[in-house]
Amino acid sequence: MAKHKTPLLDQLESGPWPSFVSDMKQEAAVRAKNEKNIEYQIPQDAVEDLLGVLELSYTDGTTHWKHGGIVGVFGYGGGVIGRYCDQPEMFPGVAHFHTMRVAQPAGKFYKTDFLKNLCDLWDFRGSGLTNMHGSTGDIILLGTTTPQLEEIFYELTHKFNQDLGGSGSNLRTPADCIGEARCEYACYDTQDLCHTLTQEYQDELHRPAFPYKFKFKFDGCPNCCVASIARSDMSFIGTWKDDIRIDQDAVAGYVNGDFPPNGGAHAGRDWGAFDIEKEVVGLCPTECMKYEDGKLEINNKECTRCMHCINVMPRALRPGKEKGCSILCGAKAPILDGAQMGSLLVPFIEVNKEDGYAAIKEVIEAIWDYWMEEGKNRERLGELMKRQGFQKLLEATDIKPVPQHVQEPRTNPYIFWKEEEVEGGWTRDVNEYRKNHLR
Amino acid sequence: MELAEAKEKIVEALTKKAKSKSKFYFNDLSKILELKPREAKKLVNKLVEDGVLEYWSSGSTTMYGLSGTGKQAGAEHED
Amino acid sequence: MAFISSGYNPDKPMENRISDLGPQHYEQFYPEVIKKNKGKWLYHEILKPGVLVHVSETGDEVYTVRCGGARLMSSTLIREICEIADKHCDSCLRFTTRNNIEFMVDSKDKVDLLVKDLESRKFDGGSFKFPIGGTGAGISNIVHTQGWIHCHTPATDASGTVKATMDEVFSDFQDMRMPAHLRISMACCLNMCGAVHCSDIAILGYHRKPPLVDHEYLDKMCEVPLAIAACPTAALKPTKIEMEDGTKLNSIAVNESRCMFCGNCYTMCPSLPLSDKEGDGIVLMVGGKVSNRISAPKFSKVVVSFIPNEMPRWPSMTAQIKNIIEAYAADARKYERLGEWAERIGWERFFDKTGLEFTHHLIDDFRDPAYYTWRQTSNFKF
Ligand code: HEM
Ligand code: HEM
Ligand code: SF4
Ligand code: SF4
Ligand code: SF4
Ligand code: SF4
Repeated sequence: MAKHKTPLLDQLESGPWPSFVSDMKQEAAVRAKNEKNIEYQIPQDAVEDLLGVLELSYTDGTTHWKHGGIVGVFGYGGGVIGRYCDQPEMFPGVAHFHTMRVAQPAGKFYKTDFLKNLCDLWDFRGSGLTNMHGSTGDIILLGTTTPQLEEIFYELTHKFNQDLGGSGSNLRTPADCIGEARCEYACYDTQDLCHTLTQEYQDELHRPAFPYKFKFKFDGCPNCCVASIARSDMSFIGTWKDDIRIDQDAVAGYVNGDFPPNGGAHAGRDWGAFDIEKEVVGLCPTECMKYEDGKLEINNKECTRCMHCINVMPRALRPGKEKGCSILCGAKAPILDGAQMGSLLVPFIEVNKEDGYAAIKEVIEAIWDYWMEEGKNRERLGELMKRQGFQKLLEATDIKPVPQHVQEPRTNPYIFWKEEEVEGGWTRDVNEYRKNHLR
Repeated sequence: MELAEAKEKIVEALTKKAKSKSKFYFNDLSKILELKPREAKKLVNKLVEDGVLEYWSSGSTTMYGLSGTGKQAGAEHED
Repeated sequence: MAFISSGYNPDKPMENRISDLGPQHYEQFYPEVIKKNKGKWLYHEILKPGVLVHVSETGDEVYTVRCGGARLMSSTLIREICEIADKHCDSCLRFTTRNNIEFMVDSKDKVDLLVKDLESRKFDGGSFKFPIGGTGAGISNIVHTQGWIHCHTPATDASGTVKATMDEVFSDFQDMRMPAHLRISMACCLNMCGAVHCSDIAILGYHRKPPLVDHEYLDKMCEVPLAIAACPTAALKPTKIEMEDGTKLNSIAVNESRCMFCGNCYTMCPSLPLSDKEGDGIVLMVGGKVSNRISAPKFSKVVVSFIPNEMPRWPSMTAQIKNIIEAYAADARKYERLGEWAERIGWERFFDKTGLEFTHHLIDDFRDPAYYTWRQTSNFKF
């Protein structure tokens, strides 16, 4: 028998989409029965009480959680979010209900024994509820008590060789797209770069010394499946420098209707026969393609690598061979001064596994040095860039300005010239001046 | 700077302000230590490890305070 | 419920402490066929909604079956996912950025069994456990945040609004009739943990009332300077309050017209709660994208300034969303994302075609960038 009546939540059990309410109820029932005889370390009815408090929110239209900032595991500034219920007497099972962020493996591939171990631990020491995954990418273990935090951390590290993720003014757990593991568009090994940098910067991830949060995200190509360009302080987007590889036979295959355009992504509607002129050549944003006498030509010098033609004809077109990535900086959600996309800082950089990504690390560390010195409290990198100007970031990273850095040149001439840039400097003799200009 | 000196500076500065507030940003600490952030970080980490300082996190931002001080502990039912 | 120690010694936290391990190495989790063909993939094709094949230059193929799921997931359900992966996929699986679950097999003859198995599994309440879809020019799973399940500042629930929306658009999760991908995201307050600001459609929880001030307890529970510093718009200042019994208390005054309803003060100080049944609700934003395909990435724009919270299924909200989707599906060109469509026809037409009401709330007046969003040309459509 359910502990609390949940008439509103019950209405979220119907309909085809997987119901989180049904899942929570199933978990509540499993805990109540406890067929495995687990010695639950937090209240057995935690899930019942979570359903109860959620039903209360559905009734009164307000949240019933309070924030807690002190709890965590010793020596780490992040990885735990403290939560207390504001109706602890009604719902004692969730009176203290902290989440733990567990660092996810790059690419979010899993073997089942790892997940089962995690489930065993979490049933025993937590609520048995998770988020697979939180929006930064971590596995989120949803709900445990303060005394369990260290125990869980101890078991994670000692038994499963597994660490927590980040929260607070840290490097946040980096995330990547599936990339080379299963995507023909990938221009570098996103998993390896993501994993290597995550390991390299463990100290930055766990011990906050930044002005605010800092995120890396890794997209294997400009399709940006992990949205790096919109939500990471440093976004690494795969790209190439040479020519798109064309297989003319396969182009003919698309034209003849042998292959579905866009990998079959539009199969749900009759869009008529594939029209290479209209759908590929005509939509190329740089108008750098030509289809003549059954041959597709690309003026690669003018191509901006938007991926459209490649997406439409994956069997015929492939990114070039001279691959690497672009680095964009400063993206953030609107809080506080409005949303910002990443701005292009490094048009092309080698992604070199052999030397441990030395060139990329050099850029990252220069940016951190700059931001840690100049950034105000709670100022994201993008906000610092906005406050001080893009030039300062170029200076800090010792990167030469190129037209690729801008959408357009400035529309005002209010250049803050520096003294050393002006012939003869700024120190002048007023008496010299007065020789030609009377007072 | 030696750890002992850092500890003294931090404890003194934070105690002086304890009446009005108990939580500080990392930047405030590096200013107290008069060190560059990277240098300051090593000492601050050590002070956390030694239990002199503790973290407070809003989820998005982290602050530092002398262990056990401030009103948060009471408000968060962890005292 | 006896406490069972893991071996951790609270008196000596640093004893045997292991830290800075990071995540597991990705490679140990790859299915064999992925390990063997990494970096060698030639092309892919969507065989039917939710089922993909990737073909390698070695001739190997990997078949992926993509299922939607609620990201709020119990260990019981994760075990069931493991059981499926053990049975069909050599114990391997993965999750996508949009909280989908992917099961991979290395030959075509294994696909049908897997699909049948997944389709047959339902919750007691009747919903699918593993609906197959989320590929191509359709609607994939919604990325979202915590909501009333676990956060202290939400203006709406996340899991519930997502469930209601996905039920409404379910047929498009399993179809590919849209002009292009349509990505929906959800965040339950303006802090936007889910970074919904670049989605085709964004569901955003929003408060409309400034925080309440619990004068009697504020000074006991909070440090006034910290709460004041937490406010991004400098809407808070210290004040002294005289209670009815004549006692004078330190407290905080809210300059209500400056408040942007972010809840940061509440994070710092539990005596400044701001959620409210009438005040809180939903904002809809549309037309964002992150891909660089054809046009540059775009931010989403606010097109519905407020919809009340209607628990448990938010019918007004889902109706508005459906309405926007249908207007787009009917009018956009092949490959055109929602935002590209709106820009091509003009936002004035967007409001015509969706029938949404345009109000003064939709004109930007927040700081610098606002000016550049007003119309600075004599070209417009009647
Ligand atoms: C002042 C601003 C912000 C505050 C106070 C804040 C606070 C929080 C809190 C308290 C949580 C934990 C929720 C929970 O598990 O109970 C959280 C989660 C998160 N935050 Fe923020 N946040 C802020 C801004 C942002 C921004 C701008 C982003 C991204 C650009 C972001 C990204 C995230 C992500 C990805 C999560 C994980 C949430 C999930 O997966 O549900 N946050 N934030
Ligand atoms: C600090 C800022 C500015 C100062 C000190 C300034 C000063 C002046 C002066 C002294 C003149 C008269 C020049 C003359 O006829 O001998 C002038 C003319 C003018 N200013 Fe400005 N101005 C400023 C900013 C602007 C701005 C921001 C604009 C427009 C957006 C502007 C538009 C004009 C125009 C249109 C004229 C008339 C030019 C003509 O007809 O030849 N000014 N300004
Ligand atoms: S971002 Fe590009 S490389 Fe990565 S998964 Fe998406 S399409 Fe593939
Ligand atoms: S990638 Fe984009 S810009 Fe380049 S040729 Fe193809 S469609 Fe044109
Ligand atoms: S979006 Fe806001 S309410 Fe939702 S989880 Fe993030 S901070 Fe909490
Ligand atoms: S809700 Fe945000 S803007 Fe309003 S007073 Fe609190 S901190 Fe300031």
